[in-house]
Amino acid sequence: MIELKNVFKSFDGKTQVVDNLDLQIQQGEFVVLIGESGCGKTTTMKMINRLIDPSSGKIFIDGKDITTVNPIELRRNIGYVIQKVGLFPHMTVGQNIELIPMLKEWDKEKRRKRAEELLELVDLPPEEYYSRYPNELSGGQQQRIGVARALAVNPDIILMDEPFSALDPITREQLQKELLKLQDELQKTIVFVTHDMDEALKLGDKIAVMKDGKILQYDTPENILRNPQNEFVEYFIGKDRLWKSPELLYAGDIMNKRVITVGMKRTPAQAIELMKEKGVNALVVVDKESSQPQYPLGLITSNELKHISEHSVKMKDIMNKNLRMIPETMNMVDVLSFMAEHDLKNIFVTDENEKLSGIITQSSILNVITEVITDHKEEK
Amino acid sequence: MGNQVNFFQFFISRIDEIGTLVVEHMQITGMAVLLAIIIGVPAGIYITRNQRAANTILGIANVFQTLPSLALFGLVIPILGIGIVPSVFVLFLYALLPIIKNTYIGISNVDPAAIEAGKGMGMKNLQILSMVEFPLALPVIMGGVRISTVINIGTATIAALIGAGGLGDFIFRGISTANNNLILAGAIPTALLALGVDALLGFFEKAITPKGLKK
Repeated sequence: MIELKNVFKSFDGKTQVVDNLDLQIQQGEFVVLIGESGCGKTTTMKMINRLIDPSSGKIFIDGKDITTVNPIELRRNIGYVIQKVGLFPHMTVGQNIELIPMLKEWDKEKRRKRAEELLELVDLPPEEYYSRYPNELSGGQQQRIGVARALAVNPDIILMDEPFSALDPITREQLQKELLKLQDELQKTIVFVTHDMDEALKLGDKIAVMKDGKILQYDTPENILRNPQNEFVEYFIGKDRLWKSPELLYAGDIMNKRVITVGMKRTPAQAIELMKEKGVNALVVVDKESSQPQYPLGLITSNELKHISEHSVKMKDIMNKNLRMIPETMNMVDVLSFMAEHDLKNIFVTDENEKLSGIITQSSILNVITEVITDHKEEK
Repeated sequence: MGNQVNFFQFFISRIDEIGTLVVEHMQITGMAVLLAIIIGVPAGIYITRNQRAANTILGIANVFQTLPSLALFGLVIPILGIGIVPSVFVLFLYALLPIIKNTYIGISNVDPAAIEAGKGMGMKNLQILSMVEFPLALPVIMGGVRISTVINIGTATIAALIGAGGLGDFIFRGISTANNNLILAGAIPTALLALGVDALLGFFEKAITPKGLKK
C-alpha cells in the first residue's frame, strides 16, 4: 500500500505544486492521477520513488517511511515508465531489459530467461526482438519494451508517467488494452499519470482528479462520471462523457420507467385505448391489473394490434411471449448486443429483486441517442 | 621539372632525418593531445553538471584558442624555458578547447529521457555516466580528439621555434636558408601526417560508435 500524508511540495518556496495532499493506494490497485498540466500529478508520482522529495509530509510504502530507504534501492523495486520511453539507444532490447537485473547482480542465465519471458508478455517474440536496437523499433514497440523493462525485477509497484500519450491513437488503444490484460494477470499496484480522461476512465480502478496541487475527487471511474464532486471535475470529464462511454451506461439509465400494464384478458380495442390515453406504444401484459409491479407475461405493441380483425381475442392470445429479462445493471453495450443476438425489439429490465422496473424499446434507445445529439449541439 | 627531380633526390637523401622528425613530431602532438584528453574529458563532464563553471571554462579555453600560436610559444619561454616541455604545454592548451567542448556537447546531447529512465530505475549517478552518458557521447568526444590532433599536427611545426624539434625544424631551416626543398621536406610530411591521422581517427570514431546509433 502506498500512503501519502499531508504532503507538500514547493520548488520555489512560494507556490505549492503539491498542496497538503493525502492519498491512499491499495495493494493491486490501478490508480490514475489526472489533471491539466501543472496540477502536480507528475510531481506527486515522482515523490513515490523519490525522484522528488516532498517539502514536508510523509510517504509510506507498506507502512514504511520511504525516507528511511536508500533511494537507489527504493527505485530498483519500483517500476518506472515514462512518456518518452527512454530506452538506452546503444543497448539492445535485451540489454535494456536486463540492466537492472544486472545491477542487482542476477546471473546471466536468469537475466536472459527473465528478458525473454517479459518479451513474450508484451507480445514481442524474443527470438526476433531480443538482439535488436531501440531505433529499429516503432514507438509502440519501444514502449512495450519500456513496460517490459519496468517489470524486469518484478516490482510490486509501477509508476507510469503518461506512457502512451506520444503514441498514435490506434497504437495507444492497443497498448492500453494490453496493459489492462497485463494488470489482470500481474495485479501490480500501478500509479498512472495522464491528462486524457478517456484513458483514465478506461484504465483506472480509481481516478484522482487533481487541480492546483490538490486532489478534488478520488473515486472509481463510475462515481466520477455519475457524481462529479464539483464543477471542475464535471468540466474536466466533459458533459457528454457518460454517453461517450456506453460501457458505463446501464439498462437502468436508458429504460423507459413508465411501465403501463394491461390485463391479459383485455381486448385489442381496450389496449389501443390505453395506449392512446397513456401515450405509449407498448403495454406489458400482466396477470391482473394493479399498481404493484408484477411478473410480466408478455408484451403488446402496436405491431401486434395492427392486423387484428377479430375483436374478441384477448391479450394473452396475441401478446409477444418472446420475453427476455435483463438486470438494470447490464451496460448499454451488452444490452445492444443482447438484443441483436436474440433479435429482440423490446426487452424487460428488472431491479435487484427481479421485479419489472422498466422496458427498453427501440424508441427508448432512440431517445438516448437523440439526447446525446441535442446535448452535443447545445454545447457548441 | 628539374626542380621536382631535385626535390625527390633531396627527399630520399634526407629520408632518415625526416623519419626521426616525424617520430618527434608525433610524440609532441601525441603527448599534448593525451594530456588534453586526460584533463579535457573530465573537465567537459564536470561542466555538464555545473552550468556556471561551463561558461567560465569554455570561455578560458576559447581565449587560448584565439591567441596566435606564435605569440603563445613566445609567452611561455620566460616561464617554462625552451624545449619539449613548453611546446607540449602550448599544444596541450590548443587541444583543450575542442575536447572540452565536444565532451560537453556530447554529454549534454544525450537524450534526457534516457537519463530520467535510468535514474527512475535506480541507477546511481556514476552508473548513468559510465553506462549511458559516456558511451553515447563517445563518438562526439572522439570527434573533438580528432580535431585537436589534426590542428596540433599543423601547429606543432611552430614548436620547432622553441626547440621542440619535429618537422617544423626543416621548415624553419628552409626559410632561414631560402631552401625550398627543405621547406617542402618539412611541410609535405606534415600535411600527409595530418591527413593520415585524420583518416585513422575517423575510422576509429566510426568503430566506437555504438551499433544502435548507426543509421
